[in-house]
Amino acid sequence: MIYSIFYKEWIKARYFFLALVCLNTAVCLKIWVDIRQQLQAEHAEMIWYQAIHIQSFFYSDIRYFPLLSGICLAVVQFVPEILQKRLRLSLHLPVDRERLLAIFLALGLGLYTVLALLDTAAIWAVSRYYFPVEVAVSSLTTLLPWHYAGFVGYLGMSLILLEPAWSRRVFVFLVFSGFISLLFSGSGYCRLNPALPWLMLLAPLFFLTVFQGGSRFQQGEVT
Amino acid sequence: MSSAIEVKHLCHQYGSRTIYRDLNFTVPTGTICGLLGKNGQGKTTLVNILMGFLKPTSGRCLVLGEDSCHLPPLTRARIGLLHEGHLAYEFLTIAQTERFFSGFYLGWEREIFFDLVDKMGLSPDHRICRMSCGQRSQVVLGVIMAQNPDLLILDDYSMGLDAGYRRLFLDVLKDFAALGDKTIFVTSHIVQDLEKLVDSMIFIDRGEIMQTELDSFMKSFHRYDFEDGGELSLDKDEVIRGFEQRGERISVYSFADQESVQFHLDSLGVHPEKMREKKMSLEDAFIGLMGKY
Repeated sequence: MIYSIFYKEWIKARYFFLALVCLNTAVCLKIWVDIRQQLQAEHAEMIWYQAIHIQSFFYSDIRYFPLLSGICLAVVQFVPEILQKRLRLSLHLPVDRERLLAIFLALGLGLYTVLALLDTAAIWAVSRYYFPVEVAVSSLTTLLPWHYAGFVGYLGMSLILLEPAWSRRVFVFLVFSGFISLLFSGSGYCRLNPALPWLMLLAPLFFLTVFQGGSRFQQGEVT
Repeated sequence: MSSAIEVKHLCHQYGSRTIYRDLNFTVPTGTICGLLGKNGQGKTTLVNILMGFLKPTSGRCLVLGEDSCHLPPLTRARIGLLHEGHLAYEFLTIAQTERFFSGFYLGWEREIFFDLVDKMGLSPDHRICRMSCGQRSQVVLGVIMAQNPDLLILDDYSMGLDAGYRRLFLDVLKDFAALGDKTIFVTSHIVQDLEKLVDSMIFIDRGEIMQTELDSFMKSFHRYDFEDGGELSLDKDEVIRGFEQRGERISVYSFADQESVQFHLDSLGVHPEKMREKKMSLEDAFIGLMGKY
């Protein structure tokens, strides 16, 4: 049963997931090529000055890609389900709605995690190769809010697509986009470190809202 | 006899528009019941309520003894549901569709699925989005039949199907019903198809219903034709249930016998000469009862 749901979700997402892997890999390659060229063209002191004193991080190109990946995965998974309300096919299957949605989300978030790990590993490797370990470590905590934005973006887009009422869709969009913009606010390394654990405490709440959207979808509540 | 479907005091509204007012009916186990009504009368809404996809304003529906708003998975496993428009996962191929659905049903009968689908002569790798409506309906029918359900709910199975695929659908449904203790609840726009299939019918019109056995309805509902030179207008009442005028030919539909209708028309100042009963198909009777518009 679980396998069957995973199977269908994988068929839906596989080509788009591979496209996202290619896209994220391409961005990471571009970051590597750029820093490599910069190091060849400029003095190391200048690179150090930019990276440490100005805090202009060389991997800023990847900033919005986790969010883009999360939103794309939600669209790929849920648009085919809401067109002609096809999700009713799955909701009629002999499996609990919550369990069904949990498996949908598990696959989507699982694929997102693969992309996030790919980006993180690539940035870590480039950082570690060209910079001291402290810079590499700080890249992880700098990337974390962006990855969290992708996670929240995935759940937010899933909820917006499942929600049957337009007024609620707008409300959900405002709430999620407000929260996501908070995760991109500020500049410099590890800027959200003090607040991030508190912001991450909200993750289960965002996760659970999708189940509420699923319930409203099933019961056709349009107000 | 137990009931496969039981609707009690069902009311539903979309905003200020009332769809049903105090709807009550039952579909006994082992019977085939057709739900007939013109477009926009709430046939699909009723199917959605029965399957828990819509919460009614008030009232209760029991499907296989369970509240339709909270059908447990085990009950859903006993219900084969055909959504309007032969809804299917169009990104899947035939083989992927079989593999996906087979994982949910213990009694899944793979042979039944492929017997139905192989009739089309398509490759198992054929994607559903590249199929015609008729071909897609065959895949959906295969999925439903392979589940071996106790109750079939079919929402406008004939939509978009040509005569061949409709006949195929009917043949499969008849074979399924012949297995015994199987219940079918069906809506369709092609009324004459139901004449060959159903035991009983529910007519739905402006939020009210009339439930009747097919045989007794066809025996008790009559059409009387006569000719009249002038423009005639007759309102529906207890005797006249339908009225139609085309040129000089007048048709009056009624559950009353010819003598009573003649007497009633006389009392309304209409004096038909040579009024005679005309034989009707179910479609004629449906139009007579419901009207064309």
